[in-house]
Amino acid sequence: MSKDMKFLVVDDYSTMRRIIKNLLHDLGYANVTEADDGNTALPLLQNGSFDFLITDWNMPGMAGLDLLKAVRANDKLKKMPVLMLTAEAKREQIVEAAQAGVNGYVIKPFTAQTLKEKIDKILESRAVPA
Amino acid sequence: MTDTAALQQPTSEPDLFAQLASLTSNLRSALDRFRRDSRLNALAEKEIPDARQRLSHVLKMTDAAAHRTMDLVEKSGPPADRTAREAAALTVPWARFRGGKIAVAEYLDLIQRIDHFLAAARTDSETVRANLNEVMLAQDFQDLTGQIIRGVINLVTEVEVVLVDLSRLAGHDASVQAKTASDDIRGHGPAVPGVDHGGTVVQGQSDIDDLLSDLGI
Repeated sequence: MSKDMKFLVVDDYSTMRRIIKNLLHDLGYANVTEADDGNTALPLLQNGSFDFLITDWNMPGMAGLDLLKAVRANDKLKKMPVLMLTAEAKREQIVEAAQAGVNGYVIKPFTAQTLKEKIDKILESRAVPA
Repeated sequence: MTDTAALQQPTSEPDLFAQLASLTSNLRSALDRFRRDSRLNALAEKEIPDARQRLSHVLKMTDAAAHRTMDLVEKSGPPADRTAREAAALTVPWARFRGGKIAVAEYLDLIQRIDHFLAAARTDSETVRANLNEVMLAQDFQDLTGQIIRGVINLVTEVEVVLVDLSRLAGHDASVQAKTASDDIRGHGPAVPGVDHGGTVVQGQSDIDDLLSDLGI
C-alpha cells in the first residue's frame, strides 16, 4: 500500500473529521474524503475506489457498526480495511465489532501516535500473504 | 340539656378533629398538586425548550471554537516549517564558514541568506506567537458553555425531582430500567465516570489492544 491510498473518514462531527484528516496528511496520506454517517458513507464506498475506511460508531442515521456490517456484506467492499475510531468503550461492543470484522479499534480521546500505529499494523498485516 | 350536651361532646369532638385533619390534608395535597402541576407546566412549556436552545448554542460555540483553533494551528504550520527548513539549509554552509573552509562567493551568499533568514524567522515567529495567543482566546467558550451547562444540570435535577414525585403518586416503581441490547448497537457515547452503561467499560487503549489480541486481531 502506498501513500496514494484513498481514505474515507466517517464521523458526524466536522471537527473530528478535520482532526483525523490533518493527522492523515501528517502521515503522508493526502487523499482523504469525508462522510458524516453510514448512510452517506455507503454510496461513496460503493461508487468510489477507497482503500481504507475509518469510522466512528455513534452517529445519527446509520451507526458505525451497521456500516461495518454493510461493508462486510458487500462483495466489492468486504475486504476493505476498517478502523473503528470511537468513544464506545464497552467490552461487549468491542467484541461485537471484532465479530463483525473490524480490523482495528481506537478509543477516543486518542493520540496521533496511536492512530499511526493502528493504521500501520493493519497495512502490515495486509502486506503479509496469508 | 347542658349536661346531655356535655356528655355528647367527648364523642363528637374527635370526629370533628379527624374531619378537620382530613380536610386540611386534602387541602394541602391539592395545593401541592396545584403547585407541582403549575411547575410541571412551566418546565414542559418554557424551561425544557429553553434548555434545548441553550444546549444547541453550546454545540455551536464548541464547534466554532474547535474550528477556529484548528484554523490557527493550520496557519501556524507553514511559517514554523519555513523557519525549520531554512535553518536546516543554513547548517552546512554555516559549519563550513565556522571551519574556515568557505569560498568568498559562498561566504557572500551565506551572509545574504542569513540576513534574509533572520528577518523571515522574526516575522514567522511573530505570526506563530500571535496565532498561539488567538488559540488561547478561542478557549473562552469554556466559561460561557460551562455556565449554560450548569444551568441545564440544575434544570435536569429539578425535573428529576418532579418526575420521581409524580411516579410515586402514580404508584410506579422508580427503579431504573436495565439498558437494552439495542443501545449497544446504536452506541452510548463516551464512558462517563459514575454513569452505568450496563456492562464492563475498558480502561483505555491498552485494554482494547489486549482484548483484540485475545480475539486474534
